[in-house]
Amino acid sequence: MSRVAQRGGASSANRAGDGEDICPVCKTSRYLNPNMRFLVNPECYHKMCESCVDRIFSHGPAQCPVAGCRRTLRKNKFRKQTFEDIQVEREVDIRRRVADVFNRREEDFDTLLDYNNYLNDVEDLTFNLIYKIDLEESEKKLESYRLDNEQSISQNKALASQESQSAEMRKMMEQEQAKLRREAARREEEQLRREREEGRQEVINKLAAGDGDASKIARESHSIVLKKSSARRAALERQQQLTNESNGATKTNFSIKGLKQKVEPEPEKPYDPFGGLSDARDSYVLQDDYDVDWLRSFKQDPRHNVGGYDFKEFYDRALCDAFSGLGVFIEDEMAGKELSSIAPGSVTAAAQAVTEGNTNEAKIIAEDVF
Amino acid sequence: MKFNIDDLPVLFPYPRIYPEQYAYMCDLKRTLDNGGHCVLEMPSGTGKTVSLLSLIVAFQQYYPEHRKLIYCSRTMSEIEKALAELKNLMKFRTEQLGYEEDFRGLGLTSRKNLCLHPSVKREKSGAVVDARCRSLTAGFVKEKKERGEDVDLCIYHENLDLLEPHNLIPPGVWTLDDTLQYGESQKQCPYFTVRRMMSFCNVIIYSYHYLLDPKIAERVSRELSKDCIVVFDEAHNIDNVCIESLSIDITEDSLRKAGRGAVNLERKIEEMKATDASKLQNEYAKLVEGLREADEARNEDAFMSNPALPDDLLKEAVPGNIRRAEHFVAFLKRFVEYLKTRMKVLHVISETPPSFLQHLKELTFIEKKPLRFCAERLTSLVRTLELTSIEDYQPLQEVATFATLCATYDKGFLLILEPFESESATVPNPILHLTCLDAAIAIKPVFERFSSVIITSGTISPLEMYPKMLDFTTVVQESYNMTLARRSFLPMIVTRGSDQGAISSGFQIRNDPSVVRNYGNLLVEFAKLTPDGIVVFFPSYLYMESIISMWQGMGTLDAVWKYKLILIETPDSQETSLALETYRHACSNGRGAVLLCVARGKVSEGIDFDHHYGRTVICIGVPFQYTESRILKARLEFLREQYRIRENDFLSFDAMRHAAQCLGRVLRGKDDYGVMVLADRRFQKKRSQLPKWINQALLDADTNLSVDQATSTAKKFLKTMSTPFPARLQDGISTWNEQQLAAHKEKVEDENIAMLQDGIQNGHTGSKGGAAGNEFDDEELDEAMMGIDA
Ligand code: SF4
Ligand SMILES: [Zn+2]
Ligand SMILES: [Zn+2]
Repeated sequence: MSRVAQRGGASSANRAGDGEDICPVCKTSRYLNPNMRFLVNPECYHKMCESCVDRIFSHGPAQCPVAGCRRTLRKNKFRKQTFEDIQVEREVDIRRRVADVFNRREEDFDTLLDYNNYLNDVEDLTFNLIYKIDLEESEKKLESYRLDNEQSISQNKALASQESQSAEMRKMMEQEQAKLRREAARREEEQLRREREEGRQEVINKLAAGDGDASKIARESHSIVLKKSSARRAALERQQQLTNESNGATKTNFSIKGLKQKVEPEPEKPYDPFGGLSDARDSYVLQDDYDVDWLRSFKQDPRHNVGGYDFKEFYDRALCDAFSGLGVFIEDEMAGKELSSIAPGSVTAAAQAVTEGNTNEAKIIAEDVF
Repeated sequence: MKFNIDDLPVLFPYPRIYPEQYAYMCDLKRTLDNGGHCVLEMPSGTGKTVSLLSLIVAFQQYYPEHRKLIYCSRTMSEIEKALAELKNLMKFRTEQLGYEEDFRGLGLTSRKNLCLHPSVKREKSGAVVDARCRSLTAGFVKEKKERGEDVDLCIYHENLDLLEPHNLIPPGVWTLDDTLQYGESQKQCPYFTVRRMMSFCNVIIYSYHYLLDPKIAERVSRELSKDCIVVFDEAHNIDNVCIESLSIDITEDSLRKAGRGAVNLERKIEEMKATDASKLQNEYAKLVEGLREADEARNEDAFMSNPALPDDLLKEAVPGNIRRAEHFVAFLKRFVEYLKTRMKVLHVISETPPSFLQHLKELTFIEKKPLRFCAERLTSLVRTLELTSIEDYQPLQEVATFATLCATYDKGFLLILEPFESESATVPNPILHLTCLDAAIAIKPVFERFSSVIITSGTISPLEMYPKMLDFTTVVQESYNMTLARRSFLPMIVTRGSDQGAISSGFQIRNDPSVVRNYGNLLVEFAKLTPDGIVVFFPSYLYMESIISMWQGMGTLDAVWKYKLILIETPDSQETSLALETYRHACSNGRGAVLLCVARGKVSEGIDFDHHYGRTVICIGVPFQYTESRILKARLEFLREQYRIRENDFLSFDAMRHAAQCLGRVLRGKDDYGVMVLADRRFQKKRSQLPKWINQALLDADTNLSVDQATSTAKKFLKTMSTPFPARLQDGISTWNEQQLAAHKEKVEDENIAMLQDGIQNGHTGSKGGAAGNEFDDEELDEAMMGIDA
């Protein structure tokens, strides 16, 4: 269902009204000064007109002229208001501050639930800041988090800016492409029209020259036009194919996003010569010392206590030998091996049969049917 | 009559059948057998609905699956007509079979049409009826009542709970009127009766929106099983319905209201925190789990639903930063404020959703993900807060839907901000359009969900355009001829005036006095010779107004006035319906009337001018769309890039389907007759885009006529039409009785056999041969593979 909203005639009236257009400081109204602009200072968000700002704050910091507000404001902090609702304006400023610090990403968390809980906590904190609930404590929290996580914050910040940059680039690219395609389409249309025009002219010329049968000429020209247009269409398809392909190519080029991310998060992990193969013992825990009768004498023996010899090595070795066969089922493994050594062959053979069958064999067989 | 299509016995409630009806049914059956979608074009007035219903009902009753039929139509009156046909058909079946089948057929329309509550039903706007009904029927209201609070309930709704839930209404076919009467007599609500009985129905007839508008579809149609047969009747405009269902316009006014709604919500949350904090806590706990869980409770009294949220999203947990009610409201407020700042821009902006989101994030720190959950989250909140005056939150809901759509779809949507109403306006009155460009998005779930979707209409040419635009594949695509015993309608293309000057509504010459005069002459001539009613279609209101005022100056209207009453369609629907009534009155009583209307207006869609209500239809100019519209331009570009449909092809297709729709208005049956005049030079080239049945009746001699030639042809035609034509002459040609049908079937079979034999002799040339070959090589392949395995 379309929900075409009525264009409210009142809206234009509202734009001018609402008492918004009178400066609360000097009481100038837009009626007297049509170019009036309002500014706010994020210190207290009291609104006033540009000329008031110039007048009051040109000579350095001064107190806010709004009754009851004693804050000291500086001229360079004044800026234009983005949102109509001053409350939202302030909220967004606070959010900017919070978002600068709490910029964890979903990938940083193990589960979605953790991430959501994190978001929830951040939102709670933001709310406290906005509505000045436990203001000091919240500020402290924010600050301490910032100090604790400086590294990850800056990392994520870099990531985010990278992302937004690449998005920007992609956007521009897309716009460019769209423009090109649009132009191509227009040109093509134009050409088509010109050709048709020319064709017509030609027919008229031929007819005027008077040689040949009129209806035949008309027919001929018609078929020429048809041929041309179909050729053009094919060309167009080809061209679009091309643009599409290039589109796809650019897309892969620009999604560096995925790449960078993978490289960056784990720089501290050292080179692993075993390629991920772990030597952790999962069947037992190695203890520092074992109290065994027949070992006692050896432990006393200074020959075994000289540098370079460690009983721990011995325990480790012995236990490893004892446990290393556990959890291995030879039959199963062998069976698996046999299967896998046979399967690939048959599969490829079958696949070959399929492809061949599809190409020439099938035809021969089909012809044999009758 | 009774006959078989293959092995399927069909009962047809009339003694005679048209050949095209039979062909139509055969193709339908083929589609249903194979499973898949089809596009069928059946000439208007040849009993499309009845053929469709009798075949599908036969199919349902014969095969054990009893696949349900969902029949979608456009307007109330079409729904009512279809229900009446169905009722008639079932009566006939009962008579023939000798017993009553266990069968239920129901029609559903909005609450506004089905409400019985004495005060609610008097509300004028459908939205208000919906909202008021919800406040009388919502689950929590009932709970309150049980707790002894003083709240109003709708007694009609309450009574339903006393009945067996699967037998709220006895079997049979119930037209909307019947349901209303039954509801009145049993004091039960017809709307909810139908809604709750939907899963127990064999046939449901309702409006497109219940399937296409994702906001409604999710709620109304989600229990329907996969093997349902879905029919879209009168579907020539289906792409526009799809697009409209996902497009949203936002104005400053609606933003203001949305902002107010958000403030109200805030207040309500505070209230609830003070009185019943556990409810909010409950909701919170559920949202931690995910939307689906929180949504378990969603049923018929839901406030609204999500716009086409992907399923995986519903299973996901709500983002943490909008989990708490107050956080979410602040979130909404921020979003509304952001939109307000966007509205302040004084030049036209068009941008894609991703770039919109990017800017949004920079300014307000709203991320994409919570935005996607916006609509659902709002629903949940409204339900938790147990709000009754839901209509106040409609604008806010719109904004939430807007947010969800923006964040869900990167492609196929475009945001267009138009700060001024028109080029010349100086006072800004901005509108932010979120326009859906891709008709396939809304209809995709339907094609994916249901195995057989049938798209049919009287004018749905060119057939291949629809699968392209809606992005689906068909198993059958067919357009039928109209078999006629005599030529009962006369299409003509008039390209020149009597002075041989070309006539056209093209921009360069549309206001040329000579062109306007020629059009005037055309009208005057036809007013002279046509008995009863004439309908004239213009491409747009603007053009109609200018041409009428010029005619006024030229005295054309005075000349017409001598023969006919002149009535005009206006954008105001009340005025138009008054004009229509007068028109009908004049056609029935006096010398008839001329109705001047617009090819894209209300009259051209859904109002029939059968028999003497329309003997001549004149299409003045090709009804092209207004191409300067930014939304249309965006859509054209999208079609070009996505579906390779060229702009001109689409524009011309769109114009011709409207022209065909206009022409079809006057011919509503085989005993009807009429003249169809296409008055524009450009029609000459677009002839092939007319529906097959019109194009076939358009003789070469009747194209490229001048006004005086057209007049004399029409005169001759009307003279032959005025001689009586007994029905018996139509027998065997345009209508068949049982024997003739049997003969036809035999003939077809003979032909088939002959073809088969031919095929065998000549090797495999026919399609049959090819199929056999394919089957065989599959087998061969299997064998080959087995050989290798062994
Ligand atoms: S339950 Fe039915 S009768 Fe009652 S208000 Fe709603 S629609 Fe009307
Ligand atoms: Zn001032
Ligand atoms: Zn201040």
